[in-house]
Amino acid sequence: MKIIISNSSKEPIYEQITNQIKSFILAGELREGAAIPSMRKLAKDLQVSVITTKRAYEELEKAGFIYSIVGKGSFVAEQNVEVMREKKLRVIEEQLSAVIANSREMGLSLDELQQLMKILYEE
Amino acid sequence: MFNLIRRDVILQKRQLIIFIPFILFFIIMGVPPVLTFLVSSIFIPFNTYAYDEKAETNILLNSLPYTRAEIIASRYLGAIVYMILSIGVTSLALFAFNQSFTIADVAIGSGLFLLFAGLTFPLFQIFKPGYITTVILISFVILTLIARPMISFIAEHLTAITDFIANASILALYTGAALAILTVYVISWGITTIIYQRKAF
Amino acid sequence: MENVVELKNVTKKFKDFSVKPIDLQVKQGFITGFIGENGAGKSTTIKMMMNLLRPDAGEIKVFGLDYRTHEKAIKQRIGFVYDGNVFFEGLNLKDIKRIVAPAYQRWDDALFYQYVEKFQLPLNKAMKTFSKGMQMKASLAVALSHHAELIIMDEPTAGLDPIFRRELLGLLQELMIDGDRTIFFSTHITTDLDRIADYIAFMQGGNLVFNQSVHDVAENYALVKGGLDLLDRDTEQAFVHVQRASTGFEALTDNIQAVKDIFGDTVLMERASLEDIMYYSKGGVSHV
Repeated sequence: MKIIISNSSKEPIYEQITNQIKSFILAGELREGAAIPSMRKLAKDLQVSVITTKRAYEELEKAGFIYSIVGKGSFVAEQNVEVMREKKLRVIEEQLSAVIANSREMGLSLDELQQLMKILYEE
Repeated sequence: MFNLIRRDVILQKRQLIIFIPFILFFIIMGVPPVLTFLVSSIFIPFNTYAYDEKAETNILLNSLPYTRAEIIASRYLGAIVYMILSIGVTSLALFAFNQSFTIADVAIGSGLFLLFAGLTFPLFQIFKPGYITTVILISFVILTLIARPMISFIAEHLTAITDFIANASILALYTGAALAILTVYVISWGITTIIYQRKAF
Repeated sequence: MENVVELKNVTKKFKDFSVKPIDLQVKQGFITGFIGENGAGKSTTIKMMMNLLRPDAGEIKVFGLDYRTHEKAIKQRIGFVYDGNVFFEGLNLKDIKRIVAPAYQRWDDALFYQYVEKFQLPLNKAMKTFSKGMQMKASLAVALSHHAELIIMDEPTAGLDPIFRRELLGLLQELMIDGDRTIFFSTHITTDLDRIADYIAFMQGGNLVFNQSVHDVAENYALVKGGLDLLDRDTEQAFVHVQRASTGFEALTDNIQAVKDIFGDTVLMERASLEDIMYYSKGGVSHV
């Protein structure tokens, strides 16, 4: 599990951890039931305080991404990754609809828009 | 507790090397056995205090799982243990050099040591580190200076006491002295414990 | 959550300095950093936690036990490291071990030698020949070799070079993998704490200013910068201390929400470092 922490980021460290683990799960890199490192082990590896990883794990638990068993550790929740993906997709759809509406307003063609998307996506 | 007493040996390994020649020197110089017993008994317990007057040592001992009463008890019991050992070593040395000594020498030597220890141990807790050696040295000198005039003063003026002492049987005298010294030692132990309990490090 | 150390209304008076009634809890399983300038009362507080000093009033409990009745039981479970060498200077590490080890029921010789090897400590050299860093490592090796549940350290990083400071912090984090272990250490080098501390206790002039999780500190305290025209008697209430310059003001707040409510987007808000907090707290509003 590759996690990279930036100290100069405005985003609090626990959020960086939460977001990166979330994206692993959403991308399917961490499968249901997979064990994730204990928060104390992770704290040591990332050289951050235990309370930071504790908070990250608490947030992940609250959001239903992971679950913890006392004495055994934390695991990726047997969750509906599909549902998650769909939720995310729906958000993206909404955002894209807004973009398309805006583009139509100023007469941007689909080709032009796709080109712009391509440039931005590959950036 | 036993660990605390044992630590003195570890602490003073090097000084113990000069301990034997020191006793031998006394014997060769023909110092009276009583004094040899006294000085050899003083050696280890007072060396311990030279270490313990440092604040760091007290911080260490009190941070370890010992109570303050135990730390002081180890000093008082340790003094007796080391006195017995020193007397043993000194006796052997005297035997080896074919010098005669009596049980009375041992008794008086150890009695004097216990009295001296009983009187000085509380001082170590009262005076600030660094001054203690000076205080002990001065009191030792004063004691030896006034001892002779005192004894002659008592001999001349307090005839009642001297008569009593002269008339008492040797056994009664020794028993009385032993009891008196023991009382002083125990009281001293109590006082030192109380002072030490209240100390801040 | 269990508190390993609990100070309730503890006071201590000296001739020229006193510790005001303080309440301090040290949480089990976490690292608490104890900060404050020199002379703020950190060492006095630590000494009271170790029963080297008795408080004038108040209650001190360690592992829920009282020193009056359970002194030995408490100290069996504490590992200590002080600023400066408390071991006999003339002795080598082997002899020091011989003196200290029998005092602990749970002394682990193998563990001790493991640390000696890890820290590359000589066993047969007198302590007085050790550098400051080596003395610290030696103290640490002794403190860690009896499976202590609570490790109390007074300025362990003072006088150490940055490389060893990092090593030490890494080692402390390793110790924290064991969830039952608690570390309480004082320092005035606040950067030591930025990464590893879970809770921060801050003392100033004998008072405990706060004892909060690092998240709470980050969420409550901030540096605020803005134009002088924004300041008046009312708006200043939101700040712990304000520093004015001709170009604008810089201030510390302990109530980010209040600042947001009062100033909105007209000011710039930045994360306050522990050093910022210590520095500005010293000023205090009344001295402005």
